[in-house]
Amino acid sequence: MNIRTCGKYANKFLLLLLVICLSFTLVSCNQDSEESEVRTQFVVGFDASFPPYGYRDDNGEYVGFDLDLAQEVCDRQGWELIKQPIEWDAKDMELSSGTIDCIWNGFTMSEDRLDDYTWSEPYVDNSQVFVVEKEAGIKSFDDLAGKNVAVQTASSALEALNSDECKELTASFKSLEEIPDYNTAFMNLDAGSVDAIAMDIGVANYQIESRGDKYIILEQPIITEKYGIAFLKGNEELKDQVQNILYDMLNDGTLEKIADKWGLSDNLIFGQATDETTQTDNETTQVDLWSMIVQLASGMLETIKIFAITLVFTLPLGLIVSFGRMSRFKIIKYITQFYIAVMRGTPLMLQLLVVYFGPYYLFGISLSREYRFIAVIIGFVLNYAAYFAEIYRSGIESMPVGQYEAARILGYNRAQTFIRIIFPQVIKRVLPSITNEIITLVKDTSLAFSIAYVELFSLAKAIAAAQTTMIPFVVAGIFYFVFNFLVATVMNKVEKKLNYYEIK
Amino acid sequence: MKLLEMNNVRKGFGKTEVLKNISLSVEQGEVVSIIGPSGSGKSTLLRCATMLEKMDSGELIYFDKKAAWNDKNGNCVYAKKNELKEIQGYYSLVFQNFNLFPHFTVLKNLTHAPIVVQKRKKSEVELECRELLRRMGLQDKEDAYPSQLSGGQQQRVSIARALAMKPKILFFDEPTSALDPELTGEILSVIKELAREQMTMVIVTHEINFARDVSNRVIFMENGYIVEEGSPIQLINNPKSQRIREFLRKLD
Repeated sequence: MNIRTCGKYANKFLLLLLVICLSFTLVSCNQDSEESEVRTQFVVGFDASFPPYGYRDDNGEYVGFDLDLAQEVCDRQGWELIKQPIEWDAKDMELSSGTIDCIWNGFTMSEDRLDDYTWSEPYVDNSQVFVVEKEAGIKSFDDLAGKNVAVQTASSALEALNSDECKELTASFKSLEEIPDYNTAFMNLDAGSVDAIAMDIGVANYQIESRGDKYIILEQPIITEKYGIAFLKGNEELKDQVQNILYDMLNDGTLEKIADKWGLSDNLIFGQATDETTQTDNETTQVDLWSMIVQLASGMLETIKIFAITLVFTLPLGLIVSFGRMSRFKIIKYITQFYIAVMRGTPLMLQLLVVYFGPYYLFGISLSREYRFIAVIIGFVLNYAAYFAEIYRSGIESMPVGQYEAARILGYNRAQTFIRIIFPQVIKRVLPSITNEIITLVKDTSLAFSIAYVELFSLAKAIAAAQTTMIPFVVAGIFYFVFNFLVATVMNKVEKKLNYYEIK
Repeated sequence: MKLLEMNNVRKGFGKTEVLKNISLSVEQGEVVSIIGPSGSGKSTLLRCATMLEKMDSGELIYFDKKAAWNDKNGNCVYAKKNELKEIQGYYSLVFQNFNLFPHFTVLKNLTHAPIVVQKRKKSEVELECRELLRRMGLQDKEDAYPSQLSGGQQQRVSIARALAMKPKILFFDEPTSALDPELTGEILSVIKELAREQMTMVIVTHEINFARDVSNRVIFMENGYIVEEGSPIQLINNPKSQRIREFLRKLD
């Protein structure tokens, strides 16, 4: 009789689905929660846009000084090295949840951090410096008064500028802007919106090397500091293993050779410092557009994977949720309403973080590597199901009651009425809204970067940072546009196909 | 033989009582017209008879099979689901605004329910339905979609759809009200044709002349009561009640 009748069957489905979802989540988290007796893998966490310590080269490989060191350690130890790019702000969560074994990425051993990790001996001495444009006429700290200064979010340079020693200096700036990566910072410097960038000297050398000599480094360092490898607090055993091999490498000259390769021999202080100054044979090369496109295409595949799997789960789940939303049982209705309100009322990025880190922080389950992708899918499916549910609901509730009555008089049961009579018409009604949502989904897949899942957008970001160019973003934009154009075309075809009849 | 019996039916929506103790029975082969001003409860009576609405109290019987009855407290109880399903097969209803399924072709509108609900053989059903369409003068429209037809054609399809289920009794809820005046004729002649074939029908209508021509019995309803019932000649040409005279005069 009324529209809500179809909700009856759905209630059972809904409960079932909840149970399946939960068990799925738990099982997948539990997979390799126990540390294996014999270590076969060594997972290094690093920020993929931090050259020369760790970044993506133009062949799509993760390379860098730190990664070379880690590779050598693994080779000697018979481990498989896994290079795990991480979102820098989430490094502590990654380490404590066990998804990485150490942070090895030009990681500053600052006072504040000393107690937070089990540290190796320092291996690089690095200072924080200012990079300015040569023509700008900035020569000393005094010239920085009243200027805009940029610094990477959560970086050592920022920490240095905020420390007590630098308080006065920082206070003299017109502003201190926190910028997510160096590429963006240099874009701001070029554009004139900032006058100086504070960063590690190693990074500064690398950036100036690849960007040309229109920049200079101020002679006076902000602070001098040391890099170490950070292990989970208390993991002395692993630290000692790694450190012992580094000593071996120091003794047979491998360490120096690798430092040399990356132009860091000046800074190397592991064991005993070396005086040798060699000209760098830096690996930065000009952007090869074709190989960049090939790399970004692989990111596009990941994006399509997220998109397609999300869609396959979301389309039916959204329908089930919409049944719950229209249920005659108040409890189910209210729970669904609450779920939809939360999913629509909080940022998707936040939801992804909760889904990914939640199992560890809420239940203490350590996360498997495979969970990263599963978390992306769960996050997207849960979020999009809420939106699809509301679309379906609007379609179902807009159906004229006469269709239900005619079906009833003709003796169709509830399931037949919904499947044969109502749903096909609902699809036609809601198709334009669905298309809209699907196109948004294509673009939203880029939010997977927030839990460091490598897809088109995060890849573009990493390449842009490593090669100091904007081109990857342009290419990524074209990829997104072309894919969405295809999606829109397909949906248009489907809409046309359903045009064989009209709905009053 | 009585096909339909409704006894002491009461039905209200909120505080308004729409049907006040109505009783009605229909014999096999009979054509009954229900007339009366709008808001008199005609359509509600039809919707109670076809179980689109639940009665508050009263009895509903098809072929000696009780669909609904009063319990000790005078509240209406309906039969079990499977019994109701069987009873539902005895009747069909033609709606005022057709309610055809827009995503099905004309032929599929007719054949779908017999095949899916009654589980009859497709080939046999299609043969029968094509014959029904031919009788409705729609033989060349079987592949059209409802939106491509005129209102009169759509209503003829919906009559054919009802007949395809082989009901024993057919209800019409103001079958011509949604049509332009020049299209009502084609529907009325279809119903007359059915009357000649001894189809049992209950028709809620505003077409007084049609009611007089086609019915064996006419019922005049007002304010939820049956004011008068009788043969068309008696009720329309020579009504006892002052109220009916007024109503008929206004229609003229």
